[in-house]
Formats: sequence, C-alpha cells, structure tokens
Amino acid sequence: MSRRRSKILVVSALAVLLLAWEGAVVLTGAQASWPFPSGIIRSGFAITADGTLLVALAGSLQRVITGFLVGALVGIPTGIAMGLLPWVNLAMRPVTESLRSIAPIAWIPLAILWLGVQGNAALFVVAYAAVFPFILNAAQAARAVDRNHLRAARALGAGPGLILRAVVVPSTLPTIFTAARIALAIAWSSIIAAELALGVKIESGGRSVAGLGQLMVATLYVKRDVNALVFGMLVIGLVSFLIDAVLRRLRDTLLPWARR
Amino acid sequence: MSPANVKVTHGATRAGRARHLLLALRSVLVSVAGIVAVVLIWSLVGRLLAHPSLLPSPVAVLGALRVLLAGEIGADILASIVHLAAGYSIGVVIGLLLAVLCARFENLDVFIEPVIEVLRPISAIAWIPIALLMFGVSESVPIFLIAYAATFPIFVNTLDGVRRLDRLLLNAARSLGASGNFIVTHVVIPGALPYVLTGARLSLGVAWMAMVAGELVGGDAGLGWRIMWYQEFFAMDKVMAIILVIGVLGFVADAALRGLQRRLLGWNPVES
Amino acid sequence: MTDSILKIQAVRKTYVSVRTGDTIEALAGIDLEVPAGEFLAVVGPSGCGKSTLLSLVAGFTQPSAGEVLYRGQRVTGAGPERGVMFQDYALFPWRTVLGNIEFGPLARGVALTQRHARARELIRLVGLDGFENRYPHELSGGMRQRCALARMLANDPEIWLMDEPLAAVDQQTRTILQDELLRLWGDAARRPGAPTVIFVTHAIDEAVLLADRVVVLARRPGRIKAVIDIPLPRPRPAQRGSPQFAALVAQVWDLIRDEAAKAIVEEIDR
Ligand SMILES: Nc1ncnc2c1ncn2[C@@H]1O[C@H](COP(=O)(O)OP(=O)(O)O)[C@@H](O)[C@H]1O
Ligand SMILES: [Mg+2]
Repeated sequence: MSRRRSKILVVSALAVLLLAWEGAVVLTGAQASWPFPSGIIRSGFAITADGTLLVALAGSLQRVITGFLVGALVGIPTGIAMGLLPWVNLAMRPVTESLRSIAPIAWIPLAILWLGVQGNAALFVVAYAAVFPFILNAAQAARAVDRNHLRAARALGAGPGLILRAVVVPSTLPTIFTAARIALAIAWSSIIAAELALGVKIESGGRSVAGLGQLMVATLYVKRDVNALVFGMLVIGLVSFLIDAVLRRLRDTLLPWARR
Repeated sequence: MSPANVKVTHGATRAGRARHLLLALRSVLVSVAGIVAVVLIWSLVGRLLAHPSLLPSPVAVLGALRVLLAGEIGADILASIVHLAAGYSIGVVIGLLLAVLCARFENLDVFIEPVIEVLRPISAIAWIPIALLMFGVSESVPIFLIAYAATFPIFVNTLDGVRRLDRLLLNAARSLGASGNFIVTHVVIPGALPYVLTGARLSLGVAWMAMVAGELVGGDAGLGWRIMWYQEFFAMDKVMAIILVIGVLGFVADAALRGLQRRLLGWNPVES
Repeated sequence: MTDSILKIQAVRKTYVSVRTGDTIEALAGIDLEVPAGEFLAVVGPSGCGKSTLLSLVAGFTQPSAGEVLYRGQRVTGAGPERGVMFQDYALFPWRTVLGNIEFGPLARGVALTQRHARARELIRLVGLDGFENRYPHELSGGMRQRCALARMLANDPEIWLMDEPLAAVDQQTRTILQDELLRLWGDAARRPGAPTVIFVTHAIDEAVLLADRVVVLARRPGRIKAVIDIPLPRPRPAQRGSPQFAALVAQVWDLIRDEAAKAIVEEIDR
C-alpha cells in the first residue's frame, strides 16, 4: 500500500468514525449526557471565546515551565556529579531511587500545606516529577562519556573546568535533551493531576479557577458540560503533543550531530 | 567484538578477597551515610519550621507507620493491589494484542497506529474528569486510568521490538530450514522479548502513578484515597507514612520486574 | 566436466529506495554457471553487488530480471540445502553456541539425541570445545565466526554461500581459518558429492588461495568483469608465497585496480 493511499484511507476512516459518532448521539437524543463532535466544537468555542480556557492554560503552562526549570536546575548537576564521581553516586543513588518510586501526586497534601492551595502546591508536584528524569539521564550520560575523549582533553592540557565545559557537557547534551522531553511530558500530566486534586479540594470553597485541572473540575461539578470536558482533555493532549514537537525541533537545530 | 569480552577468571588470593570486602564495606557505608544525611536534614528542617505539623519528624512518621501497619492500612494496600492487578493486566493484554495485530496485518496497522498516536499524548490523568463522569467516584476510576496508562508503553515497545527484528536473523533462520510458526516461536518472540519486557516495566511505572492519582482524585479506596482521607484530618504524619509505603511498594514492584528481565534475558549484553 | 549445480542467467537486480524512491541498479546482467563441487570466489570493490548476488542464490530476494536455477529449479526462497554464512554472522543472540548450531536440525525436526550428537561433533570440529554454553556476546570475533560456520554445516548443505566470512578477524586468525575451511571442504582429497562453495571476499590473495575460479565484479552497475581460472595445485596452504601464487594475485589485482580507485573517489565525493 502506498503512503499516500494509506493516508487517504486513515483520514476517511476517521471521518466516517466521527460522523457515525455524531449520528449515533444525535439520533438517540442523548446530547445531554454524551459528548459528540459538534457539541465538543461548540463548547470548545464558547470557553475559548470567553477567555476562561486561555487564562487556565496560561496558569498551568507557567507553573509547568517553572517546575520543569527547577527540576532541570537541581537534576542536571546532581546527575552529572553522580555520573562522574563514584562516591556521589553511592551516596545519592539509594536516596534518589527511593524518592523516585513515590508518585509525585502523593505529595499533594504536604505541598498544599507548604505552598498554599492556589497554584504553587502544583508547582512542587511538577518540580518533583521533573527532577528524576534529569538525574537519571544526566548520570547515565556522564557515565557514558567516552573515556578517550576525556584522556585526549587531558593530554591536550585541559583542566577540570574546561573538560567539564568542552567535553562532558556537549557529550551529555543529547541525552539531557531526551530527559527534558520525558520530564516535560511527566510534568505536564502531573500538573493536571495536581490541579485536579486541588480543584476537588477548593470546589467547596468556590474560589477562582487557576489552571486547566481546576477548570475541568469546575466544568464537571458546576457546569456539568460533557462536551467542554472532552474539549479540555483534547487541549491537554494537544499541548503535550506540541511541547514534544517543539523540543524535538529544538534538539535538531541546537544539536544537529545528535539527530537520529 | 573484541576478545576482551571473554571473561578471564583470576585465582582469587586471600589478600585480594580481603581488599574486595573492604571496598564493598566502604561503598555500603557511603550509601548509608547518604540516607542518614537526608533523614538528618529532614528532622532538622522540621524542627526549624514554625509549626511541627508542617513537616512531621522521621520519628513521628515511623510512629504513624507503626500504627497504620497494625491497623487499617492492610485493607488500603489490598485495594490498591486489586486496582493495579485489574487495570495493569487489562492494559497489558490490550497493548500486546494491538501490537501483534499491527505487526501481523499491515492493513490494520494503518488504522490502529494513528488512533494510538492521537490518544498517546492524552495522559491518563487528563481522562480523570471524564472517568469521574462515566463511573462516578468508585474503584472503576483508578482501574480505567491504570489500564489506559499501561496500554501505550507496552504497545509501542512491542511493536518496535517486532519491527526491529534483524532481517538478517530472519534470513538466517529461513536458510537453516525454519519457517512459519517455528520462526515465530524461535526467532520473533525471543528477539522481541527484551522490548516487550522493557515495555512491561515502563507500563508498570505509569500504571503506578495513574493508580495513585486515580485513587486520590476519584477513588473510594486504596493508598491514594487514604492520603486524602488523612489530609482532611491534617494528620500529616500519617500522610507521610502512606507516602513511604507507596514508595516502598513501587520500588519492590519495579525490582520484581527488573529481576524477571535479568532472569529471562541472560543472553542480552545490554542491561537497562 | 561435471554438471552445473547452479546457473545464473541474465540476472539483474534493481533496488528501489523506500525513502527517496530512487532506483539503484545493484546487478546488471550476470551470467554464471557453477559446477558441482567447485570452490568459486567472488571479488570486487564494496558496493558492487557481491552480497546481492549471494542473496539471490540463497533465495532471500528475487531477481528483477533473469533466472537463478539451482539443480535446474528456479530459486524462489531459502532452503536448508543452500547454507549461508553471513557477513556479520547473524548469530541468534539469545541462543548459546550449542543452541545456534543445532538451530537448523531443530527447525528440520531432527530428534534431540541426534541433534546434540551432530552439534557436539561440529563444536569439536571448529574448535569451540568448552564454549558450548556461551552466548554470542561472550565470544571473540574468531569464535563467532567458527560458530557461524558450524551452524551452517549442521544442515550438511550441498552449497556453501559465504559472504566475507573472514573479513572481521585479525591476520593470524584469518590464516588459520582459511586452512580449516579448506580442510572442511576437502582441499586435499576431494570426495564425490563434496560441497560447492561460493565465497565472497574483498581480499584478492584470499580468493586466489582458496578458489578454483575467481569472478571479478565491476561496480555501478555490477557486472562480471572477468573470470580467472586458478590452476594452482592442491592442497593449497602450501602454495602461500609461491611465485605462481604471487603472479595470479597480481593478475587479479590489475583487473580490479581501476575499479577500486573509482570506488575510493566516489566515497570521497559523497
Ligand atoms: N536492500 C537494499 N535496498 C536498497 N539498496 C540496496 C539494498 N541492498 C544493497 N543495496 C545497494 O546495492 C548495491 C550493492 O550492494 P551489495 O550487494 O551489498 O554490495 P557488496 O556486498 O558488494 O558490498 C549497493 O549500492 C547498495 O547500496
Ligand atoms: Mg557485502
């Protein structure tokens, strides 16, 4: 089967599926309790037009990026130190391994206690989720730095600072980029989880909406709009897809030698 | 490639063995020191904070853990394991089945893969509100989330493993007189197994996270649910004790799969 | 003159690149007959289609035009009567040395005791005693080669298709393996029904040392440039360093030199 033909097949199959879905919901008159394509579009348009979606999205994204950066700032140096220095590795590995096994979302009660119920509690969860991919990958990459590259640099008269800058960092960068992709994916789903948990908490208090997760909870319990809910879910998926696409593009431009 | 790969066994002298023991002892000490340092910092920070309940001390958490272990936590652990077992097996079976179908029938693959690629970026977490709507607060929410999360890694890795099967190895098998089912059982399955197991491990990791999140937000039992329950009472020592239990169980589950991987893949030079 | 066991008639092979859609003409009209029991060497610069030629005989791919006839039958697929030793050995990484060697008999349904007896015999023959239970990644390059050779032999194939089997080992190992290969094939005393060999190599001295005839391939597109008879007496190992041997190597080298130079220039251009 040629590529073109298979593409046409896929698109038409998806179109048929959507039409069948719409038809089934509309014909059975179940519009109130079941989501359907045109309803999703209508609700999506509504929450986009009145700005609630964008405000929530901006809030979530801002916290994801902050948490992600904190994770990178803590995780990359820690990982590189663990990869290069055996005693650091020995001291840190059991600690990181045991902390890593804890689902980040489990920290939410403590994070609320420390950082408040509004948004920053989610920030902690995100940073916690993001730090481990960085640590693990940076450590693995630093361990895998070609011994002969290090020897060559030393033989050419490079000191530790230059070796770190000119050999270790460039050769670990591709792996760290991979770590960034994993970390951002986890961070994004953690923020939604944290915001959902927060949303469920706040709902009784009736406070303002701070992120996508809270918006979804409000949509679920206050507006009871199924279509908006599905739309929100699709937005979450789309953002995660776009983040990954951007990071991949970034890697290909910044690290052309690491392209696969 | 090089003959250096062939292991050479030296006669172990007594002095050599003693030195080895000393080194091993030192590494254990350093590792223990790392853990001790973390616990010390933890209790120090807790003492410096304005209010002791903001960060319960290690001693308090251990006390809470003892109380929990003596009492109700068994039921929560059991509930979580039931959720995980149900959701994970559903997810793995679906993922494996889809991957095998995709690998076997190219025409099906054209339909299955795009659907998977559209769904994959939508994390299990994003389904929570819809799952709540569909199932209400119940055990179905974590089970659904776990199954959904577990499906993708095993699907992607299995398909990758089957696709990556060296064409040379298939040719070799054919020229040695193998065909059909024999090739499947003796070449395709062992060749794809490392990828399948890696997928199973990744699936378990995301399933674990989905379990905690699902129980925490939309469940009516299990460790995640219990966290929120104690949060209502501001019993932070109990919350931390449960966090500890979650960490330990997650670690044990991953270690078990890692052990399985090592056992089944003795031939594989690359360890992950 | 014995009957030809293999006839390659006007065979062409064109690959279509899946990614770009470009076509690559790997072989452009090959005619070749191989008598039963002959040791035939194929030499030529890299990319001239040597592996493609073997794949066609093995039945891994089909010719774009022309025919490959084995014992008068058109080759449509792989079969255990045509044994293959691959360029990178293609050992099954999840099977031990023993497991690899007995794969062929296992696939053909040979009983366990017979299978093991044959595998052990071959292990002794290729000098892998004591390594039966090692996995391929635990073996040195030379040992992997021996294992691949034994795996091919376990099916007692009528024809051995060998793709640069000695390319990746050091010179000493290579010399030893050449001698062993000749011994296994029956260099000193040719039995009737002895195996036929098609041996691909890029080393001219190796081709001259081993073969009854040397086929020189030219590249872009791949075609036969010359077929040279090697009338050196057997057993061959004694011929290393003889003036006749040196003269034949020089003769083949003359034929191939321009091609090799062109290949290098093309590599640089790319
Ligand atoms: N499966 C394939 N698809 C596309 N091109 C191929 C394939 N196999 C070989 N070729 C091309 O055919 C030519 C001959 O290849 P090959 O037979 O491997 O040469 P050799 O073994 O002499 O080095 C080369 O240009 C190679 O790039
Ligand atoms: Mg080749």
